[in-house]
Amino acid sequence: MEKIPELRRRGLPVARVADAIPYCSADWALLREEEKEKYAEMAREWRAAQGKDSGPSEKQKPVFTPLRRPGMLVPKQNVSPPDMSTLSLKGDQALLGGIFYFLNIFSHGELPPHCEQRFLPCEIGCVKYSLQEGIMADFHSFINPGEIPRGFRFHCQAASDSSHKIPISNFERGHNQATVLQNLYRFIHPNPGNWPPIYCKSDDRTRVNWCLKHMAKASEIRQDLQLLTVEDLVVGIYQQKFLKEPSKTWIRSLLDVAMWDYSSNTRCKWHEENDTLFCALAVCKKIAYCISNSLATLFGIQLTEAHVPLQDYEASNSVTPKMVVLDAGRYQKLRVGSSGFSHFNSANQEQRSNTPIGDYPSRAKISGQNSSVRGRGITRLLESISNSSSNIHKFSNCDTSLSSYMSQKDGYKSSSSLS
Amino acid sequence: MSGRARVKARGIARSPRATEVGRTQASPLPTSVDLSNNEASSSNGFLGTSRISTNDKYGISSGDAGSTSVERGVKNKQDFMDLSICTREKLAHVTDCKTGSSGIPVKLVTNLFNLDFPQDWQLYQYHVTYVPDLASRRLRIALLYSHSELSNKAKAFDGTILFLSQKLEEKVTELSSETQRGETIKMTITLKRELPSSSPVCIQVFNIIFRKILKKLSMYQIGRNFYNPSEPVEIPQHKLSLWPGFAISVSYFESKLLFSADVSYKVLRNETVLEFMTALCQRTGLSGFAQTCEKQLMGLIVLTRYNNRTYSIDDIDWSVKPTHTFQKRDGTEITYVDYYKQQYDITVSDLNQPMLVSLLKRKRNDNSEARLAHLIPELCFLTGLTDQATSNFQLMKAVAEKTRLPPSGRQQRLARLVDNIQRNTNARFELETWGLHFGSQISLTGRVVPSEKILMQDHICQPVSAADWSKDIRTCKILNAQSLNTWLILCSDRTEYVAESFLNCLRRVAGSMGFNVDYPKIIKVQENPAAFVRAVQQYVDPDVQLVMCILPSNQKTYYDSIKKYLSSDCPVPSQCVLARTLNKQGMMMSIATKIAMQMTCKLGGELWAVEIPLKSLMVVGIDVCKDALSKDVMVVGCVASVNPGITRWFSRCILQRTMTDVADCLKVFMTGALNKWYKYNHDLPARIIVYRAGVGDGQLKTLVEYEVPQLLSSVAGSSSNTSSRLSVIVVRKKCMPRFFTEMNRTVQNPPLGTVVDSEATRNEWYDFYLISQVACRGTVSPTYYNVIYDDNGLKPDHMQRLTFKLCHLYYNWPGIVSVPAPCQYAHKLTFLVAQSIHKEPSLELANHLFYL
Repeated sequence: MEKIPELRRRGLPVARVADAIPYCSADWALLREEEKEKYAEMAREWRAAQGKDSGPSEKQKPVFTPLRRPGMLVPKQNVSPPDMSTLSLKGDQALLGGIFYFLNIFSHGELPPHCEQRFLPCEIGCVKYSLQEGIMADFHSFINPGEIPRGFRFHCQAASDSSHKIPISNFERGHNQATVLQNLYRFIHPNPGNWPPIYCKSDDRTRVNWCLKHMAKASEIRQDLQLLTVEDLVVGIYQQKFLKEPSKTWIRSLLDVAMWDYSSNTRCKWHEENDTLFCALAVCKKIAYCISNSLATLFGIQLTEAHVPLQDYEASNSVTPKMVVLDAGRYQKLRVGSSGFSHFNSANQEQRSNTPIGDYPSRAKISGQNSSVRGRGITRLLESISNSSSNIHKFSNCDTSLSSYMSQKDGYKSSSSLS
Repeated sequence: MSGRARVKARGIARSPRATEVGRTQASPLPTSVDLSNNEASSSNGFLGTSRISTNDKYGISSGDAGSTSVERGVKNKQDFMDLSICTREKLAHVTDCKTGSSGIPVKLVTNLFNLDFPQDWQLYQYHVTYVPDLASRRLRIALLYSHSELSNKAKAFDGTILFLSQKLEEKVTELSSETQRGETIKMTITLKRELPSSSPVCIQVFNIIFRKILKKLSMYQIGRNFYNPSEPVEIPQHKLSLWPGFAISVSYFESKLLFSADVSYKVLRNETVLEFMTALCQRTGLSGFAQTCEKQLMGLIVLTRYNNRTYSIDDIDWSVKPTHTFQKRDGTEITYVDYYKQQYDITVSDLNQPMLVSLLKRKRNDNSEARLAHLIPELCFLTGLTDQATSNFQLMKAVAEKTRLPPSGRQQRLARLVDNIQRNTNARFELETWGLHFGSQISLTGRVVPSEKILMQDHICQPVSAADWSKDIRTCKILNAQSLNTWLILCSDRTEYVAESFLNCLRRVAGSMGFNVDYPKIIKVQENPAAFVRAVQQYVDPDVQLVMCILPSNQKTYYDSIKKYLSSDCPVPSQCVLARTLNKQGMMMSIATKIAMQMTCKLGGELWAVEIPLKSLMVVGIDVCKDALSKDVMVVGCVASVNPGITRWFSRCILQRTMTDVADCLKVFMTGALNKWYKYNHDLPARIIVYRAGVGDGQLKTLVEYEVPQLLSSVAGSSSNTSSRLSVIVVRKKCMPRFFTEMNRTVQNPPLGTVVDSEATRNEWYDFYLISQVACRGTVSPTYYNVIYDDNGLKPDHMQRLTFKLCHLYYNWPGIVSVPAPCQYAHKLTFLVAQSIHKEPSLELANHLFYL
């Protein structure tokens, strides 16, 4: 029992016990029954002291049951999302509806410190986002970088070639810097009032900040935007939800994901046509996808096309019409006459009648909803995300890393504090 | 590294100072900064001084032209730093003797030469001050050299520090001179110290002396090496010429000072930039010419023959013409045409050509604006090979034929160099005034360690040649293979047919090696990277063991995006094969065999083993490399064996944001590796041997002080009672010495397994050379091993044999490789991450060699 104050000191006691489940699960598993009760009691008291609504706590009791299996590190499946909906409280609502702007500005490389001009802004992307709504609007423009300092043409060319591939000169799509900045301001601040905070990844912050200042100088518009980092935003959201700071590694793995690289409607038109992955707009959109995919789901929000590029997975047939699943095993079987590969055979029977998405969550396939799943496949997929089915590999990726990380960490912590 | 990149690296190292053309007037007098720096450092303490300031003082004093490069200086400094790390004295078991004894002795000739000098030879270091002070280094040098007291003495001077081989009569000598403007300058020469020949400072002076000598043999320094433009090797069919040359150095080896020389070639194109531009203009026409021209030329390295210097093309200034003027350093205006006429007696014929712009390297402590040099295309020759050229097989073959000298050719070239040094009166005079004598070529005795047997399942095979045992093991079953049941093949419509025939072949060869491959699901995909990635995202589920992608082209995005997704986002082993490779009908079997082996490893299988007498030994390989996208990210790859047979590996790659090449994440890795070992063997390894590759000049100190303690603390921290014993060995593939065996009056490459642990080694280190590769053409280079930490106390014999055994265990090649397998694995892993993935691969793959 002396563990409890210690837990508190570590910041582990949480507002709602359900929130704490995945993170204290290891501790829970190690506690005896009556200790668990006591701990739950104390947690409730603590929560009451915090003046928060203790109503839902009653409903959460069933959640504890799976934890009673001794010695088991509870994987994230036990974060039971049905409860999530009931948990969306007022504080969350404000957070869910809160609007964030993700901004990125690309440059033709970075010039050495002794140069007055450190960056040559060439592309800007910005999205308006909320956890609840997903991406609400986006803004994209190419920027005329201006004259390239004499002697740095190769440097800039090389930097461009290795990333966004935007031509360093004679690029007729580039707009004048003042116009771009004005348009950006109009995008993020359409009505008078407070300017919203703007977020970018911490690695890009120096560049984006420099470019904003530079463009402001060129256009003589004075407006100091508050540029914050996405990493801090994630920490903020996470803390508000779980009253606990996530690890830096977890945040990095959350934001640094390759799976959306080729998603449709992510890059700007020009980069899509030129098949280049580095696009300022895509960076912003991918931040939104990652946050939706890992954080919004924790709030129990149903992901829509505005959150993640679902359409790729829903209607992939139209995207890649030539994609066909060949039943190689069956062909071979006909030819060779061997009977060793029947399990593939039957699986493929099902797939052939199914849209490709149908075989994605393997559970769905087994349930035998064949021909009518188009369009509903994704709903089911989403449901299963909410149900956190272990079979889902892709959408739950971040969750997996989160909870496995958490459980490891907590397992470590609890054992150290108990021994 | 491509030829072009190599050339570029060299080119950058150049810092032309006095004579380049058309420098913009941005920074008038950077030299003064340098000088004051020299003074400051030379008034410091003894050893510290030499380390900090030598790069300037010696580099600079090498020539009156005053052309030095920061890079060269730094390199000297770093070599120098390595030398002061004496690791051997701490290793009790090798302080007396570090040589092994097993194996068959073999007589070897080296590319090292004796350098004789009298026993009491000493170097005298003086400090020179000028009153009134002079900023110009050239003027300082000229004034001092004009004095009769010094004129016939051997000397090296950089404007502040003077080295003499003979002592001046007075401790403080005062001289005075008159400049052309009639000013009287007083010079005070003060003796600072007397250095014995073993002093590291002397080694630097020796290097300077030899640089002077090679210049006297009318060789030109380009980068660090010296080339002879008067005897070019022409490859007319490819418009190339090769300048023969040498990389030289003087350093202390096991017992004495030796001069080493290795043959080097500079690839030049017999085409000026102007000719290139004209040809391009004729091909493409005028529309968009400027852009294409910029695209093709920028970044290339050019050589100006009038001063034999290299520059990189950073920009093209279309607005400036040779008839335009520029401001010289003294402030006068002159046209480019006139300048070249006056300075070099060159007439520029095309007066309408644009000018090339090169960004000159800034000097240290110089925060002024970038300096630019304008160059005339007509006078600039292209150097190096373009990517286009390097992919031209015929061209590369022609170059290789000329540059890959067999041992006999190398020996001849060395003999000629020595002959020239001894015959050329100027060169000999220079040597003699310094009191040096060029001695004989060193020969020594190496040992050939016994060859290794390859252990397969139920079969032990003694390969005919350790270089390639693929034929020897063709009928044998591999040690252990997971059955491949659920897997995917992604291919495009066009490649479907080859994919099918390849699959049949693969199954046949896999079956015979004991690797069961079931039928995959074949998915047809459109030919673009996005379609491949989407298909992977769609079809890969947790049951899939492996994804094979038949790539329609070698466009990098296919490979990168697939590897990126399947290594970190969704960790599944993947095998990419180029469709073009599968079209080579006659080679299908051997290709399939290779791919089957790779696939086995990616699934966690083991191919073969060698006999390892040490039980409970863990070997670790560490390599580092820079990320290709973000240059400030360093990729550290660590691979550790997790079973006593050294056939299974734990691989991890860690990205660190740092400017240095030193790993600071080793504890994390070692703890993970030891946990894995414990999991499999229920005990900790008794011995751990770490092979560290990717160590540059001058990093030895940081390695000893920073990485070894990390490794030690992780070894100590992981076990409570008995701690594993640790050895750390630095592996270097590049080293100066070469070895040849004498046979039938000619020289040849030494046999595989040749170990050299005397004479060419260094006295202060526990080091040896091992030849573990074959060169079918050219001369084999030995791999250099330096044991910097050793708790294991293995006999040198055992350490050498173990290292040799480990060179047999790289599963991507059925033969011996040039470095121990863990190093090669670590290298392969870092390369994949640095080039394609750019983030840490998922730990779920750590137990497989997923990066082969």
